[in-house]
Amino acid sequence: MFSGMPRVFPMLVLVAPLFTGCAVNRATATLDPSANLNTIKTVYVVKIPEDDGIVDGLIVKKFQSKGYTVTTGTDKPANVDALVTYVDKWMWDITMYMLELNITIRDPKTDFPLASGDSLHTSLTRKSPTEMVDEVVDNIYKQVK
Amino acid sequence: MNKSVQKLMFVMSVLGAISTLGGCASPANREAMQAAPVASLHQSEHSVAVRTSGGGDTGAMDSSNIADADFKSAIESSITQSGVFKTVIQGSGADYELSVSLVRLSKPLAGFSMTVTMEDAWSLIRASDKSVVWRKPITSTFTAGMGDAFAGVTRLRMAVEGAARENIAQGLKEISDLKL
Repeated sequence: MFSGMPRVFPMLVLVAPLFTGCAVNRATATLDPSANLNTIKTVYVVKIPEDDGIVDGLIVKKFQSKGYTVTTGTDKPANVDALVTYVDKWMWDITMYMLELNITIRDPKTDFPLASGDSLHTSLTRKSPTEMVDEVVDNIYKQVK
Repeated sequence: MNKSVQKLMFVMSVLGAISTLGGCASPANREAMQAAPVASLHQSEHSVAVRTSGGGDTGAMDSSNIADADFKSAIESSITQSGVFKTVIQGSGADYELSVSLVRLSKPLAGFSMTVTMEDAWSLIRASDKSVVWRKPITSTFTAGMGDAFAGVTRLRMAVEGAARENIAQGLKEISDLKL
């Protein structure tokens, strides 16, 4: 009756412990009490070497839209008011989508995180990279008085 | 009941068992995040108030996160145990204000070994004049393997707790070195 099942069942049991559980939508942002983002005029977006330019470009555009002078590259210059670093995580579900995006605004001399934002959206409620960047950066600046 | 329906019911019951084994996550436990006391730390005579931010609750469909209140409690307990500050005060009135913001919590989606990386922004402010005494980003990593727990969700939670515990230990060591 279940001639095929015995082969499948051990595989399923082997795979089960790998799973970490289910996922959800989440958006958080922090602003360090010692940070004053209002004094920032120039920003450098530190591009991840593996980035094909899409995420980096979107972050550059977003900060330009907020009135900053923005440059980008893979090194970390000290002659700017702030560095912006990011970590993007992608998943595949029929197509590739951005699962999570973390953006951090840092002191260029000490790398200290002045402010950061993180957004996570799983497949069913996925957002475009542009929407993810907008959400993360807008949430960061909601913390600024 | 024909064979295809029986097979479908069998697969559904197995998937249900997998879900149970995989389980849904629980939040990082505050006691498990508490750093082990270190006798060699400098013991200040001053008081401190702790503030945390950037954490998040763990929903029913989520992977283990660190709630701000739990992280704050773990830091306060670690301070009390180690004596880095003489007293921990809730609210205002402390000599120093310690702010710890969770900047990034990098967690794997699956795996036999779960490695979690955590970055926190630590800043210590003198309450009297609001001057920044010290601030530093601290990154910590912890791995939980199959020997630690069978279920993936449990290994992940243990890795999150371990990364937080290590982060607190590093932070308190840095503060101790200030010799306040």
